[in-house]
Amino acid sequence: MKNTLIKTERLSKSFSSGGAMQHVLKNIDLELYKGDFTVIMGASGAGKSTLLYALSGMDTPTLGKITFGDKVITDLSSDGLALFRKEHCGFVFQQIYLIDTMSVLDNVLAAGLLVSKDKKALATRARELFKAVDIPEETINKFPTQISGGQAQRAGIVRALINSPEILFADEPTGALNSKSGLDVLDTLTSFNEQGQSVVMVTHDMRSARRGNRILYLKDGIVMGECDLGKYTPNNEERHKKLSEFLTRMGW
Amino acid sequence: MYRNILLARSNIRKAKGQTAAIIVLVLLSSLMMNLWLMLSMDYRKNFERCHDRLNDGHVNIAAYVTDDEFKNFISDTLEERTDITDYTVSDAFCEPMSFEYNGGEISQLGVLLEKEDALSRNVGRFEITEDSTYKSGIYLPMLYGTGNNYSVGDTVKITLLGEDFEYTVCGFFNSAMNGSHNCGMMALLLTEDKFNEFSEEAAALKSVYVSARVNDISKCEEIATELKDETAKEFPDVVVTSNDYKLVSTSRYISQMICAGILSAMAFLVLLIGVVVIASNIANYIQENMQNLGALKAVGYTSGQLVSALLAQFAGVSAIAAVIGTVLSYCVFPAVNEMMIAQTGIPYSVRFQPLPVLFTIIFITGIVSAAVYFSAKKIKKIEPITAMRQGISTHNFKKNHLPLEKTSLPINAALAMKTTLSGLKQNITVCVTMLVLSLVLVFSATSFRNTIVDFQPMVEMIAGEFADSAINVNPNREDELVSVLENDSRVEKFYMFTNNNMEVQHVDGLSLFVSVVGDCSKMNNQSMFIEGRYPKYGNEFSIAAKYAKDNDIKIGDEIALKVGNSEEKYIVSGFTQCSNNLGKDCVITREGYEKISSLPNVTYYIDFAEDIDIDDFNSELSDRFGSDVNAIQNIQSILESTGGVYVMLMTFLVIAIVIISCIVIIFVMYLLVRTMLNNKKRDYGILKALGYTTTQLVVQTAMSFMPSVIISSAVGIAVSMRLINPLMAVFLSGIGVVKGTFIIPVELCIISGIVLVIFAFGAACLMSLRVKKIAPRELLIGE
Repeated sequence: MKNTLIKTERLSKSFSSGGAMQHVLKNIDLELYKGDFTVIMGASGAGKSTLLYALSGMDTPTLGKITFGDKVITDLSSDGLALFRKEHCGFVFQQIYLIDTMSVLDNVLAAGLLVSKDKKALATRARELFKAVDIPEETINKFPTQISGGQAQRAGIVRALINSPEILFADEPTGALNSKSGLDVLDTLTSFNEQGQSVVMVTHDMRSARRGNRILYLKDGIVMGECDLGKYTPNNEERHKKLSEFLTRMGW
Repeated sequence: MYRNILLARSNIRKAKGQTAAIIVLVLLSSLMMNLWLMLSMDYRKNFERCHDRLNDGHVNIAAYVTDDEFKNFISDTLEERTDITDYTVSDAFCEPMSFEYNGGEISQLGVLLEKEDALSRNVGRFEITEDSTYKSGIYLPMLYGTGNNYSVGDTVKITLLGEDFEYTVCGFFNSAMNGSHNCGMMALLLTEDKFNEFSEEAAALKSVYVSARVNDISKCEEIATELKDETAKEFPDVVVTSNDYKLVSTSRYISQMICAGILSAMAFLVLLIGVVVIASNIANYIQENMQNLGALKAVGYTSGQLVSALLAQFAGVSAIAAVIGTVLSYCVFPAVNEMMIAQTGIPYSVRFQPLPVLFTIIFITGIVSAAVYFSAKKIKKIEPITAMRQGISTHNFKKNHLPLEKTSLPINAALAMKTTLSGLKQNITVCVTMLVLSLVLVFSATSFRNTIVDFQPMVEMIAGEFADSAINVNPNREDELVSVLENDSRVEKFYMFTNNNMEVQHVDGLSLFVSVVGDCSKMNNQSMFIEGRYPKYGNEFSIAAKYAKDNDIKIGDEIALKVGNSEEKYIVSGFTQCSNNLGKDCVITREGYEKISSLPNVTYYIDFAEDIDIDDFNSELSDRFGSDVNAIQNIQSILESTGGVYVMLMTFLVIAIVIISCIVIIFVMYLLVRTMLNNKKRDYGILKALGYTTTQLVVQTAMSFMPSVIISSAVGIAVSMRLINPLMAVFLSGIGVVKGTFIIPVELCIISGIVLVIFAFGAACLMSLRVKKIAPRELLIGE
């Protein structure tokens, strides 16, 4: 029996565009479970990132309800949502979004100090996480512009995890990286998921999607289907085949 | 050219708020600059025009004698002098007089003339500015018809020779040299019947009043001294008083001088802030638009064209703002003019003055253009390829300021400090603004303390000695007066202080107004002695610091003074400061004065215990001493009435300065916060995504300005408190002030500084509310 972490009911999001309403998400009923590595796939414009940002409280839906645990986050103000994000969520962005004027370590601590006042404990945890994502000590005091894209994205993951969030959201985390760096980032996410970290990742890359145990496919703002791939193991052809068939069925 | 205008227009469209803020700063500066120029140029010339129109004298002399022998002597003397071009001799009464004005009392040497005679004088003509059907009464200087003072038909009670005379106000007149209580001698015109009546009733000492025009105005002081000297040789017993063009033209325009000085300082300070803000904006513009500028260079724009576009943008905006500012200055000028007239007493018609307008527009546009040119020069260093590739990320972050791991500051404060430490341009702009505003606030606080709350320090600095009351009696009743004062429990202190238009001549120098003092240690205004000490012995005197400076006189020098034909040498014991005679004063002991002359009468200054009715006391003395009282004054009342004009002026200026300071802070903060939000929009989005609330980010933004705000305000307040008195001395140097002696209200200055910091923080918070509009979802990049 899986524990539900996030539940949506009739979740809709519309944007006004040139006087006409564009319905990006349409009445989505969805449950996300604790410990899962959920992957949201779909073509460009399907509403993947919009769904991710709504689920994470980064954006508010036009209609519907999102419940996180037993808390309805759709009722929260923008400051309420900010508090919700800092307490429960971590984010990894496609464009990384580290603050250029702060060192890599400070980028992580700026997120951590929002929740905890214990600088020493935070710095220790940050160093453990940096070690876990294979960022050497001498790099953490550099500025984001002085390190590689892969290192920066892994530092972004450390920032997302510094507060031990209940759920980690990742929006195309390998989108701005080369193949090797992208793989390192995926390994990092997989590794944390194996340690129990819930992950929701948006991607349109099949190689990335394979890391998830649950695949949701979005088309025109509707969850068209889902696929349970089971636990990730490297070089598992059966999982690869299952995912390919699912995506083919979905019209990928 | 057209391309430059297109670029400039595009820049302005992109930064409407920034353009509006710069317009406001330049507009304020140009408004004040044009007002300053109008007050300094044409307004001052108005006196010359009035003087010329009335063919007024450059030297006026009142001699307390009327016999034909004297008249012939003075006429012959004036005829013989080649430096006198024309003159008029009239019969008059010259007496110390007082009457109610502005809620207090005016006391001045009055020159009473017969109206028709005064109007028909060839030199020193008077003109009626308001007449009536009243045929019997008095005409007052038009100054006293302004505000809530006298109107035609009112009764004015004038105290002359210890007696009260009541006259109906028939109208008002204008006179350049005798039209206010700042002229040394103030004229009053009596209708023929009242003039004759006064002559019979008062048994007044009739005088000769002479107005003479000279061919070299710069010599008028020397000529007045020489005329008095020549008179003293022939008529040693005749008391002669005088005023001259330089004294009157300066003392009638003290408020104009103060107002113009403050306006010019404010205009330049606000312009300085505007220029720093513009320079900072251009630096930011180059940083923000590095890639665009690189692209424009790549398609063929030269650096010169790009700089010219910025010049067109900022110089164009500044020129327009300067034009609007000068137009607005004409809307404000009538109100300023009303205030000035209340002090100058000379009517002035506001009219268009092209020279100040042109100067204001050209100067401001020129300064802004120079600032733009020097700030935009770095465009020349931008290589198209480098700029297009790296754009804004060409920063070289050499140091991670305030590592979060090590700082003990709370996270919001630490992030704010990081922003502060990495924002050099922002800090420079904030520092310049706060330093300037600290100075003007300290000036306001000091003016508030020393004029509006308590006028005494202003009096001490510019008006010399003061007390509660003063009584002038004939010498034969002096002992009795002293006995009365000694035995009256209401009297706290009294001392002999005689200075009713008495003069001594500095041999080989000018005539100096002299104050003869019984015991200088009893004087209330010890700060009048700004260097050395007051005279203690019969061979000492202290001299006005300005006169000493102009004539290279030092403490310890031996100077010859004379009255009439008697001459004696005295040692300079110290320097005094008093603006009553534009810094041509001296203080001497009674023993010292009596070596060269006897006192025709004596004045005693009296201080009372609390809650004593000064007027009641004065009435009692007046009744007791009767015709032996030459003058009795309620000095506090005089200070109230004459000081009222300055208090009103300073109140207006302080309010204006505080309002302008608030506007400047708001607009500077708007520009800085706007620039910061634009530059760091992405960072704000990231922080919001991480869970920072709008409130936290607003406070962080405002706090990032606070270190430079607090440090520069503290430094500015501390330095300004030390600078304010020297600056006051510079402002008032024209009237004889060489050392500012204002009380520095330390607490008020500190409170002003704290209010300044809080206001800046509030303004920054208010402007930072735009953070609310930055949504984390803006980080979302496509699907």
